[in-house]
Amino acid sequence: MLRATDVTHAYDAEPVLTDVSLVVDPGEVLALIGPSGVGKTTLLRILGLSLEPTAGTVTFDRTDVWAADTARRRALRRRTGTVFQAASLFDASVARNVEYGLRVRRSWRERIRSGLRGLVGREDVSGSVHDALGVVGLPDAASRSADSLSGGEAQRVSFARALAYDPDLLLLDEPTSDLDPRNTAVVEDAVERASDRDIGVVVATHDMNQAERIADRVAVLLGDGVTEVGPTEAVFDDPHDDRTRQFIAGELVY
Amino acid sequence: MSIQRRRFITALGAGATVAAAGCAGNTMDGETNESGSNGETTAQVGVAGETLTLTTTTSTYDTGLLDAIHTNFEDLYGVSVDAVAQGTGAALESARNGDADVVMVHARSLEDEFMRNGYGINRRDLMFNDFVIVGPEADPAGIQGASSATDALTTIADAQAPFVSRGDNSGTHTKELVLWEEAGTQPGGDWYQETGTGMGEALNIANQQGAYTLSDRGTFISQRSEIDLTILVQGPIEGGPEILANPYGVMAVNPGVHDNANYDLAMAYIGWITSPGAQDAIADYQMNGEQLFFPEAVSEEPDFQQYVPEGWQSDSASE
Amino acid sequence: MSVALEAVGFAPVGLVELPFRDGYVPSIVVVSLYVSLVAVSLSTLVSVPVAVTMGFLEFPGKSLVKSVINTGMGFPSVVVGLVVLFVVSNQGPLGSFELIFTREAMILSQFVLATPPITAISLAAITGVDDGVREAASALGGTRVDVALVVLKEARYGIATAILAGFGRAISEVGSVLIVGGNITSADGISKTRTLTTAIQLEARQGRYETAMILGAVLVVLVLTVNTIVVRLGDGNAPR
Repeated sequence: MLRATDVTHAYDAEPVLTDVSLVVDPGEVLALIGPSGVGKTTLLRILGLSLEPTAGTVTFDRTDVWAADTARRRALRRRTGTVFQAASLFDASVARNVEYGLRVRRSWRERIRSGLRGLVGREDVSGSVHDALGVVGLPDAASRSADSLSGGEAQRVSFARALAYDPDLLLLDEPTSDLDPRNTAVVEDAVERASDRDIGVVVATHDMNQAERIADRVAVLLGDGVTEVGPTEAVFDDPHDDRTRQFIAGELVY
Repeated sequence: MSIQRRRFITALGAGATVAAAGCAGNTMDGETNESGSNGETTAQVGVAGETLTLTTTTSTYDTGLLDAIHTNFEDLYGVSVDAVAQGTGAALESARNGDADVVMVHARSLEDEFMRNGYGINRRDLMFNDFVIVGPEADPAGIQGASSATDALTTIADAQAPFVSRGDNSGTHTKELVLWEEAGTQPGGDWYQETGTGMGEALNIANQQGAYTLSDRGTFISQRSEIDLTILVQGPIEGGPEILANPYGVMAVNPGVHDNANYDLAMAYIGWITSPGAQDAIADYQMNGEQLFFPEAVSEEPDFQQYVPEGWQSDSASE
Repeated sequence: MSVALEAVGFAPVGLVELPFRDGYVPSIVVVSLYVSLVAVSLSTLVSVPVAVTMGFLEFPGKSLVKSVINTGMGFPSVVVGLVVLFVVSNQGPLGSFELIFTREAMILSQFVLATPPITAISLAAITGVDDGVREAASALGGTRVDVALVVLKEARYGIATAILAGFGRAISEVGSVLIVGGNITSADGISKTRTLTTAIQLEARQGRYETAMILGAVLVVLVLTVNTIVVRLGDGNAPR
């Protein structure tokens, strides 16, 4: 579904990524692991079709993303969803937050109509919203306000928000690094349920245990490029590169 | 809303005019007629529904005279009068810019300049009151009852007694400067304060400081109960020197210079306000039980100087 | 405190008697509100889109525009009045519209005065919206318009504050509305271009300070009421 080929990216003189090649298939969970600052977020943004790499190709659904016209690219980008490290919810109800993705994908006429309906009386909360909230374990939270949520709940709502419009590809940037173990478990469970729906998931994390728990495949970034990509168990048990082995063992210090 | 109001006023004005014409007893044909006798709708008066912009001084406006008498004019013609109180200088400047149709001020030298420059025509003397020199009862400079206003000012200057001046090119200020000039004294120094305020405020300031000031009688009358100043030099109305007279003039803005000036209505206004009826109303207007203005427009022996700048003579050399 | 001008009667306003005719004070309140509300509404329609544009776009001369707006906030209002007077006067470029001494001219000058604060404070509110929110709105599939709407909504309290600030500036305005409006009432005391502020000025110049203070109190109550209503509306909509 998503293929990155020889992607190189540099913000200024020094390249952050060099000749990175990756594939993400529907239903699979790929973890990008590596120390902070190594380029995980950059790579995630490239895979999320929102950052054009300095060199290399990104294909989504067999379309060269950056060779296509703006409209096509926007349509492709809209089939992805992103969850950031900070929840960044809107100052509104949980329901309004989660349905945002659905709302912006409707026609303006439909949006105005449902807006007016909302003014007159209580608007019905869409089924997709309930479903997405159910996946993250917050089925009754729809009418709560975003600022009444705890940190963990907010991040879970943020996940639901990215899930509600049924994207093909989900990108998560350090989604649980601020969360306690319970909320982390809920989010990891949600990742699994998303992949059960054939959504491709890319998770950037520095927590190797997490990668081991949830990822089908891992891509280890150690410096200027991907050093190893492969099935999780294979990479962890028998890494090809020494640096990988040292990183996994916790020995490699930058 | 305003269109309906205009039509209503037009109907009012038309009806009033025709009724007035009927009462006067004569139509243009010389026959006595009731309204609409020919079966035609009554002709609209040419100015009905229009607005006259009158600029005038703050002291004139603040006496309330205009609000008291204008309703009569408005009903008569079915028009409305926008009286804008701006101060003498601004009133004339507005007229120069073509933002006014008729001007009413009391600063003859400035009116003369206005006419000489071609902006004002058809001037009429309107009414007069007078100025008074007021000050604290204690009268430190000893000017009480002086028969010469200029002497009184000279005395104040010599004693360096505190004096409050309007300092704003208003009619009052213009008169004050004329007085100093006649007295041959240049006012200046700590004792002479130019406030740049309206008359009421200036009186308050003089009151607080125990200072002398020149005031128009009208404003002084209206403030009298609130301040402790008293009249030390009377104006001509009460037998004082003529130089303290305060004559008011009214002028139409010259349509030759500003073609948007509502000349018809301005002339209707001037005609009305110099008519015996309005002049009586002016005389009847009182403030705190005292007459404030003395009509000047109606006279058996008209003063022809009112129509031209003072001292104007036609050129002896003719073309 | 009463000035017994024979031509006027008494109009009790609440518990206080004012030496004005019936309908005088209500009419000047109406003119004050009409002029300020229209001016602020028009200004909001212009200022908020400008603030949004400046919050989202980079363009050459942007910092110059920012400086102009900030200068405008402190600009002496009486100077604005003189400029508007020049413009609408018969001698000026808009002379043919005959706006001098009308409420429309007053609306124009209050518009000029209210726009800088509304723009500047809205801009501050908009740029103050967390970048994460902007990023999320975009990443979730929002177009630039969608993201702008999200940011506007996030900044709504700040923008409301901006509008109230603009309203405050407009309705307290004296010098410019006096110059371009002329402080006119009809002969029976119904205001045409007289506002609370210019009425206060008129009382003060005649030395009637107590009456001026009372009108001032009316003005303060009016502004307080408007502010309270807007804040109330805001609280009513806040998510619970």
